Amino acid sequence: MIARTDAYDIVLKSLTEVFAQIGTPAPDKVGEDTVLVGNDAVLDSLGVVQLIVEVEQRLEETHGVSLTLANDKAMSQRNSPFRTVGVFAEHVVATALEAAS
Amino acid sequence: MTAAWFLARLPEWGDTTALVSHGRRTSYAELVGTTAAWKERFAARGVGPGRVVAIDGSFSEQACSAFLAAMALGAVLVPLTRLMRAQRERFLRIAEVSLLVELEEGDAFTLSEQPYTAANALYQKLTTRGAPGLVIFSSGSTGAPKAIVHDLAAVLEKFRQVRQKKTTLTFLLFDHIGGIDTMLNTFASGGTIVTVADRTPEAVADAIQAERVHTLPTSPTFLNWFLMSGVAQTRDLSSLKVIAYGTEPMPESTLRRLHEIFPDVSLVQTYGMSELGVLRSRSKSSDSLWIKFTGEGFQTKIVDGILWVKAETAMLGYLNAPDLFDAEGWLNTQDAVEVDGEYLRILGRASDLINVGGQKVYPAEVENALLSLDNVREVAVFGKTHPLMGQIVAARFNLKTPEPLDLFKRRMNAHCRERLAKYQIPVFVELATEEQYGTRFKKLRHD
Repeated sequence: MIARTDAYDIVLKSLTEVFAQIGTPAPDKVGEDTVLVGNDAVLDSLGVVQLIVEVEQRLEETHGVSLTLANDKAMSQRNSPFRTVGVFAEHVVATALEAAS
Repeated sequence: MTAAWFLARLPEWGDTTALVSHGRRTSYAELVGTTAAWKERFAARGVGPGRVVAIDGSFSEQACSAFLAAMALGAVLVPLTRLMRAQRERFLRIAEVSLLVELEEGDAFTLSEQPYTAANALYQKLTTRGAPGLVIFSSGSTGAPKAIVHDLAAVLEKFRQVRQKKTTLTFLLFDHIGGIDTMLNTFASGGTIVTVADRTPEAVADAIQAERVHTLPTSPTFLNWFLMSGVAQTRDLSSLKVIAYGTEPMPESTLRRLHEIFPDVSLVQTYGMSELGVLRSRSKSSDSLWIKFTGEGFQTKIVDGILWVKAETAMLGYLNAPDLFDAEGWLNTQDAVEVDGEYLRILGRASDLINVGGQKVYPAEVENALLSLDNVREVAVFGKTHPLMGQIVAARFNLKTPEPLDLFKRRMNAHCRERLAKYQIPVFVELATEEQYGTRFKKLRHD
């Protein structure tokens, strides 16, 4: 089980880290509604992959859980579970719940 | 064709040292004597055409003599090493071995009859030709080992011309086509082979210094380790004139450093496969990864960026797998190459290729860029399946001194941005604590 606030923190921290890695300054305001995929996205497709890997590695480090966030189910949803920081955090919580059951 | 001309040449070299194994020297005269004793021993057990003899050992006096004796008698030879002993039963069965020669350290040996009879059609082909045979097992990182059959008389042909007498270190093992190539090549010209018990940079450097070794055939992974160890600064390696590297792609950064430390040594890339033997080639220069095949006994062509070879020294076939040749006798090496006029550069196994959203990434190219990053000692790059991209580039590092992963990833990304395309930069990064090469000193690229 991962709390929504923890998941949110991890996604946000990972996003900051990805910006540091790719060497682009992070947008002024990053938060719940920051768009990650599609129009107005702050990352390109490789950046999103990098973010997903970063979140997975951090989850393993901090919570000791090994999750595959970009699984087939996630890919087949009509709305991307990586749409925004907030939606991504929900997806982390849901995937962790599913893995635990 | 037989091996008679080759064996007739050995007594000519007289008191010259044929081999140094574990510090013990054996002259050609002694080698010829030991070989004669093995011929008698073998003949008494019916070794000859159509019989398969396995020799489990290293390049010691007894092992080399047994090899030469079985060859003289027209038998099929299966060189094995202690490293592979866990798989030996399987090898003996696949190769239909009827006699096993086992050598221990100190060169004591035992012979034991095996319950198999040579029935494979490839062996009959050898018997009809009146030629001795050689069976090499492909190291096969995946799947079952494949038994490769060579006409040993045909393999010997390229050594007919007597070349410079050289002292060569046998870095590659007794069961490796490159190791056997070194031994036969050296004996054909009256040179000396030097075997080390321990394939560490220190032991190799000590042997080069003590025996005034001229040629060191080895792998890029070992050379990288050799440079890192600093042994080049503490030993007298002035006798070294040639470093031949092969078996896997050479990182440009390793080659550059090698050339800086050994400016007067020729750095030569060799190209070989267990299925083809070692093909003669020339490097454009010591600091170049571009090679030109001399085409002695073989032809090459490039189809869709992949190298194909048609060689006289190519294997007869596999004992336990379907034939690899096309109707005209060409073999797909599965090595991707880049071409520039008559020169070409080996990019790596097509199967190692990483496909990032349709973009091709060669692990060797990425590794090359990563090796010039501070604090990196070794790195293996491989593909990881990812639903969003098909595959992503993954890299596993060995660092010189520990460093937090976050900081390392930032540095790595900054370093790569100047050297690689975006899709080539590793997305998945991990720091390993264990060494990343197998017993053959070839990089292990896998998940």
